Amino acid sequence: MSRGGALANALVFAALVAVAAGADATGNPYIVTLATKVAILGLAGVGLNLALGYGGLVSFGHAAFFGIGGYVTAILASHAAAGTPVITFPFTVAGTAEMLAIWPAAILVSGLAALAIGALSLRTTGVYFIMVTLAFAQMLYYFAVSWPAYGGEDGLSFYVRNSFPGANTFAPLQFFAICATLLGGAMILVALLTQSRFGLALRAAKENEARVIAVGIRPLAVRLTAFVLSGMVAGLAGALFADLSRFVSPAMLSWHMSGEIMVFVILGGVGRLAGPIAGAAVFIALEYLLGPVSDHWQALLGLLLLVIVLFAPRGLMGLVARRRHV
Amino acid sequence: MLLAEQVLNGLQYGMMLFLMAAGLTLVFGVMGLINLAHGSLYMAGAFACAAVAALTGSFWLGLAASLAAAAALGALVEVVVIRRLYARDHLDQVLATFALILVFSEGTRWLFGSFPLYLSLPPVLSGAVTLPGGLVYPAFRLAIIGTGALVAIGLFWLIGRTRLGIRIRAGEADREMVAALGVDIATLYTIVFALGAALAGLAGALVGSVQSVQVGMGEPVLILAFVTVVIGGIGSIKGALVGALLVGMTDTLGKALLPAFFARFMEASAATSVGSALASMLIYVLMALVLVWRPTGLYGARA
Amino acid sequence: MSEPILSLGHLSKTFGALTATDDVSLDLRPGEIHALIGPNGAGKSTLIKLIAGELRPDSGQVTFEGQSIDRLGPAERARLGLARSFQVSSVIPDFTALENVMLAVAGASGRTFGFVRPALRDRRLTDPAFFHLAHAGLSGREAVPARALSHGERRRLEIAMALAMRPRAFLLDEPMAGMGAEGARDLTAILAELKAEAPILLVEHDMDAVFALADRISVLVYGRIIATGTVAEIRANDEVRRSYLGEDA
Repeated sequence: MSRGGALANALVFAALVAVAAGADATGNPYIVTLATKVAILGLAGVGLNLALGYGGLVSFGHAAFFGIGGYVTAILASHAAAGTPVITFPFTVAGTAEMLAIWPAAILVSGLAALAIGALSLRTTGVYFIMVTLAFAQMLYYFAVSWPAYGGEDGLSFYVRNSFPGANTFAPLQFFAICATLLGGAMILVALLTQSRFGLALRAAKENEARVIAVGIRPLAVRLTAFVLSGMVAGLAGALFADLSRFVSPAMLSWHMSGEIMVFVILGGVGRLAGPIAGAAVFIALEYLLGPVSDHWQALLGLLLLVIVLFAPRGLMGLVARRRHV
Repeated sequence: MLLAEQVLNGLQYGMMLFLMAAGLTLVFGVMGLINLAHGSLYMAGAFACAAVAALTGSFWLGLAASLAAAAALGALVEVVVIRRLYARDHLDQVLATFALILVFSEGTRWLFGSFPLYLSLPPVLSGAVTLPGGLVYPAFRLAIIGTGALVAIGLFWLIGRTRLGIRIRAGEADREMVAALGVDIATLYTIVFALGAALAGLAGALVGSVQSVQVGMGEPVLILAFVTVVIGGIGSIKGALVGALLVGMTDTLGKALLPAFFARFMEASAATSVGSALASMLIYVLMALVLVWRPTGLYGARA
Repeated sequence: MSEPILSLGHLSKTFGALTATDDVSLDLRPGEIHALIGPNGAGKSTLIKLIAGELRPDSGQVTFEGQSIDRLGPAERARLGLARSFQVSSVIPDFTALENVMLAVAGASGRTFGFVRPALRDRRLTDPAFFHLAHAGLSGREAVPARALSHGERRRLEIAMALAMRPRAFLLDEPMAGMGAEGARDLTAILAELKAEAPILLVEHDMDAVFALADRISVLVYGRIIATGTVAEIRANDEVRRSYLGEDA
């Protein structure tokens, strides 16, 4: 990572923290919640970016992992509230309202889903890969819609935000701090990953697959690993998102969600560490600012996206940084 | 008898998917473009049909309008946006066409509002037909099957027998060679795109006539059309037809039969929920099987 | 005679009605350049792909250093030291020279799954990479992106990458294709360097280069080997003259 790139990444992260802290100090809890949303959606984008930006794997199905993380959270929390076990066979899983127990479960389940989906999807490339990841995510969407046990089409609410030792998760700034810390951790993790041996192989496989095979590396294994890690991060983001609204619905698994996560990444700049955060921030800010002005703000968003794709293909951070390999 | 009806339903569903998938697969195959906004063209056809039919009182004029409007919109979008994307990577194509969906969906909502519109069928199509064997089946659904079959025959003839078809096939094989042959590539691409759009618009009008016409109606169909193309293989009209029929049959029969199947060893309400949940996943399982067996689809070029 | 490094036993491969490889047996011995020649469409590229593991034969065996490698994929074969190189664009343009060679070192080590330690600070990667770059004459150019290297430097980078793989045999598929006379002279020197490291199975169209460099030559026509021998033997072989060289003479 170039020094300028590291600085830009740190600045984006610091700006997000400053907005949240400033809003809290001036008594604007709603803005804190928006900043929390940026942190969570940015986290999902950071996850997708690992596969998409560094690995060149254009997954249009990351809502699957985001949604699974959300559903794991909601299911565990609602069972905890009802005092019933989630499953009793082959072993008993009790519900829980502890974030520290929920997160590993969300990461594990979304990682397993990513393993299965990735193993099938990575048999294909290019347009096929895009369509296949989209289709598998849609499969989970329809499953969630038609499976009545956890709310089906209506979704599933839980009334108390899950707890974290030593924190009051209902205080907006404290919940923001939890999300921002995980986001910062994920950014560091992705930065390390992409600079490691593994990252070297992943980035090389994106550029020149034949060369990577010729030096004795199996691109499939490298890509599948990146895809699974990417899905796990998205799953963690989904868990936080569920806690933010204390509600999950099939919309979290829908292809609109996949599209939005992808928009964060591309809006910010593909393969840039803090790009998805910048992208999510712009997206949320537009929603917040344009939403009251026009009911049709998504049309404006669409036009803006078109302009960016056609005229600024390297994203917002690309406009600002003008450096490669940030 | 029930089964025969479900088979016809599956056939009708498959034919409708074929109308969608044919355009998608042509655009993939010839221009190498992934177009998420194909569902918007489907929606545009449905709204054009509904609006013109309401205005003139003629369903047939509405149907003609759906073809014309979708083709015109397709050509316009191709010229203004899509042709700038051919040389870009798939990621840019996905994002730009995703943006187009947002624009079209909101634009339509702005023009027509959020409430669904309903079409009334002309008398000749609104009745039921008694088929050999005594099965009574809605005439309009038979008309959809017939339309799909006619379009399939027409496309096979177009691709296989006409000069335009030769150029399309050549364009799939080698873009530069076609340009060297003096074919106006830009016009060819616009024609192919508009053709695919017209078929999508037709599908939208037909489905809108049996269900309802509303914003967002194109997206579930788009994803099924993707599954169809993945199963059939990119660029193959034959693949689109076979894939569409497979998907249509699997989905329809799965939804009809699985709940009954589970009812044999479960109590009824559980069987219904398990059965319908699994049925909703069935076509994706089919897709996964095809991917394991043939990653480039049944009729796709071997990579 | 020493044991061959690589030997092919009765390899066959058909594509539909076309027999691309027809009962081919040949071997590559230590220290030699073994050239494979033949007219266009004779099946040379198919044969190279069968050896590299990119295609699976319908029948026959490939033995590498005394072991069957029939079940191994291309990446596994490369890791054993079966180095396939000098393809067009065989470096990663966005990587620096150092990163390119580090990739090869990481690949050869079989340990690609390090996730935490920055590769650029991993001396098990950087030390050998610096060594091979210096060996290939690229000292001082380590931090330059491959895309910014001159054509000659990129060739030297490819050598460094090939050497970093600790090759036991090279498979070179038309390394002179698309190169001018000067490039061909470069490559002649490079082949001599590589040959010192490991034997080379060379597919090449340029007859002058083949006759100048090769220790042995096999002639492939319609997927079959019609003759194998020294340069002099091949020049003197009637069947070869008739079916192949005759066209050129």
